[in-house]
Amino acid sequence: MSEQQPVLIRVFLTFARNSLVREMTFRTNFFIQCVASISWTLMNLGFYLIIFHHLNHKPLADGSGWQQNEFFVFLATTWIVFSIVQAFFMPNVQEFSELIRTGNLDFVLLKPIDTQFLISFAKVDWSALVNFVMGILLLTVGVWRLTTQSNNPLLLNPANVLLYWFYVACGVTILYSLMISLAATSIWLGRNQSLYDFWFYITNFSRYPMEIYARSWGWSLWGLFTFVIPILIVVNVPARILARPLRPEGPWLGLSLSGFTILATFACLVISRRVFTLALQSYRSASS
Amino acid sequence: MYVRAHTWWTILRIALEERLVYRGDFALGTLMRFLPIITQIFLWWAIFESIGGGSAEKVEIANFTFPDMVAYYLLTMVGRAFSSMPGLASGVARQIRDGEIKKFLIQPVDMVGFLMLSRIAHKLAYYSVATLPFALVFYLCRGYFSAGWPDPLTLAAFIASLILGFLLGFFLETSIGLIGFWFLEVSSLLFVYMLFSFFLSGHMFPLDMLPEPWNLLVDLLPLKYLAYFPAAVFLGKVSQDELMLQLGIQVAWILFFIFLSRYLWKRGVRRYSGFGG
Amino acid sequence: MNVIELKQLTKTYRVYQKKEGLVASLRGLFQREYRDVNAVRGIDLTVAKGEFVAFLGPNGAGKTTTLKLLSGVINPTSGTAQVLGYVPWERKNAYRRRFALVMGQKNQLWWDLPANESYRLHQQIYRIEPAKFERTLDELTDLLSVRELLRQPVRELSLGERMKMELIAALLHSPEVLFLDEPTIGLDVIAQHNVRQFLKQYQLERQTTILLTSHYMKDVAALCERVVVIAHGQVEYDGSLAGILDRFSGHKIVTLAFTENQMPPDLTLFGEILEVIPPKAKLRIDRNVVAKKLASLLSHYSVEDVSVEDPPLEDVIADVFSRAARSKEA
Repeated sequence: MSEQQPVLIRVFLTFARNSLVREMTFRTNFFIQCVASISWTLMNLGFYLIIFHHLNHKPLADGSGWQQNEFFVFLATTWIVFSIVQAFFMPNVQEFSELIRTGNLDFVLLKPIDTQFLISFAKVDWSALVNFVMGILLLTVGVWRLTTQSNNPLLLNPANVLLYWFYVACGVTILYSLMISLAATSIWLGRNQSLYDFWFYITNFSRYPMEIYARSWGWSLWGLFTFVIPILIVVNVPARILARPLRPEGPWLGLSLSGFTILATFACLVISRRVFTLALQSYRSASS
Repeated sequence: MYVRAHTWWTILRIALEERLVYRGDFALGTLMRFLPIITQIFLWWAIFESIGGGSAEKVEIANFTFPDMVAYYLLTMVGRAFSSMPGLASGVARQIRDGEIKKFLIQPVDMVGFLMLSRIAHKLAYYSVATLPFALVFYLCRGYFSAGWPDPLTLAAFIASLILGFLLGFFLETSIGLIGFWFLEVSSLLFVYMLFSFFLSGHMFPLDMLPEPWNLLVDLLPLKYLAYFPAAVFLGKVSQDELMLQLGIQVAWILFFIFLSRYLWKRGVRRYSGFGG
Repeated sequence: MNVIELKQLTKTYRVYQKKEGLVASLRGLFQREYRDVNAVRGIDLTVAKGEFVAFLGPNGAGKTTTLKLLSGVINPTSGTAQVLGYVPWERKNAYRRRFALVMGQKNQLWWDLPANESYRLHQQIYRIEPAKFERTLDELTDLLSVRELLRQPVRELSLGERMKMELIAALLHSPEVLFLDEPTIGLDVIAQHNVRQFLKQYQLERQTTILLTSHYMKDVAALCERVVVIAHGQVEYDGSLAGILDRFSGHKIVTLAFTENQMPPDLTLFGEILEVIPPKAKLRIDRNVVAKKLASLLSHYSVEDVSVEDPPLEDVIADVFSRAARSKEA
């Protein structure tokens, strides 16, 4: 009798469905989360609208090409990338730390399915997808304005749109790899709230155009967050591909960055898998 | 009277001990809180430079130069240190929901007074340890304070605004928490309040930057005193005559919220006892 | 063919003095105080197909650790183990599909959802054929009489009901080997009884190889013929339950009911006095001299009633443990 491996897509869909059912039983909470998310994005947008009001048609960083409409695309990409991570991975990473602490990780290890898959996809936070919707809305507004502006309108070609989503996926993967590696360290370091704060503060750097770090001591940050902990490319690369702001250096930087992103995604995935497997070997379970 | 003082001292001491156990972790956590400032510095640097067409010097947005901007953010951290009340409103609502406030009805201890004391104790404990990281950051960023220390009068006003900010934040959040007598789920209201206060208190950006008519609207709200006002005072953005007026308005707001919380407490207790048990 | 084979299985934990906080944890990476805990010291064991074996031992003896090693949840320090021909800690999917572990008072079912939904997930993960799945689910829910509870959120169920749902979850994929870690702990008497009955019948029908750890003598006595006593990470005894009494208990408990006012003046001549409530007396008498002492008592005194019993199993076992502890310290 041939035993078959579980169909991962099917399992994932069941996870998603179960999470939705669960969230719907706490309806008011869900609603509040949605309202909070919308308020947050509106405030975020409001902040930048005020800034661009003062910038008065100048770009966000001198010579960067991030004018208001281009920046809408950038901001929308921030919301899109982070909302995907928030919805599909954040609850699982938090749960992972809890599982380690309580020893309930045992049950996960018993299942005949890849442990990392089970850990990473078990829960979905549906209310976080509100930000995704807001992101799509803003993206549409930004792109529409860019393609219809009288001065140097953007020529949208389908290849760019496809590449955009490809690089969004890369960005999400990089963030995921970082998250899971960080969570896995709790097998060695024990529970730590500081770890999550750490994550929040570090990824905060990735929510701005790379160009703002391109000055004096900012270059070290630029280097650190591009080559060591590659979070800067997470939002910047897809946003650039779609909005194509003016760059005096020409297209070569764009190409090499995109190429580097693919490399970085692959490297992050491999490294995080290694860290995860190593951590499991040191797992001790909880005392009975 | 002596018993009271002794109780207060015990509360203070316990809060302090609690904090000091996690010293190291704590100092690191406090330093991490300054990390977002780094991105803000670069963001504004880029913006100012862009406006100035390549150089940030002599550029002003709403009368703030670039160094002013950075100094402003650092100062709002100080303002927030005084006026933020994490867990106060939700704690009050929870105590109402769980029936813990019964002890305040039976014993001759005033709930609001008790809460205020614990708050003061916690803040003192917290900031006695946090002073070092704060001082370190301010020292590193001293170059951004181009005007240096303000004159004694302004400095006194600054300190006054901080203390008043504490009182305002306290009574405002307590009032929100006391709404828990009527609505079980105060958390939703709280959430909305937190979001708006982040934006409207000046924590995100100096309120002078708001275009008309928004800046007039925000001026009428008490939220600006929680972060914007102390920072603006220190940086000399508030003229001498304005200063007295604003402090006066701040005091008026505080009195308003004190009366509001008293009123809510009295009415709430009456309603609560009406339910029996 | 042996289903389970352990050779010198050892697990030693290095326990570090952990401190809270990020800074202390970071510092802890460079210099730490530690001590070694030998949870399992070289256990040898073979179990054949269809056996129902009990692990008996005091807390911290290493019973649960052994089960976890056999489940592949943790890695051993040294030694080998084979279950169904697989090395457990390699955690191959093919192996994981053929066994199950149930831990008392621990839940693997989704808390807020009905057990039904967790079972559906199980079916997908274990790739159980739909028809077979329905059949097995029906059988199990009938055996345990929990049909109406299937649609109720797990958090609303009582402890006993939850345990039954956990058992079902473990058995849905018809495992060949079942590990049970204190399955009846915390359950009320009726629930315990139900679970025991269920396990007995299930094992008889399916001939599943089962390893059970328990504190409760009733579990062991009702279900297992073979008992492995583990103390301080080592096997102290491996054999039948009755054999324990033969091997370890040196006494018998003799209860005598004397005729009115005919109680012997000094009962200590015959054995250790446990209890005296005239006209009854309970004595503990050495095994080898029971017959002699009894004969003496019966001939010299007027005895209305006599009963000779083995001491309670719990006492014997407890004695074995404390003896093992003492020999460890020696």
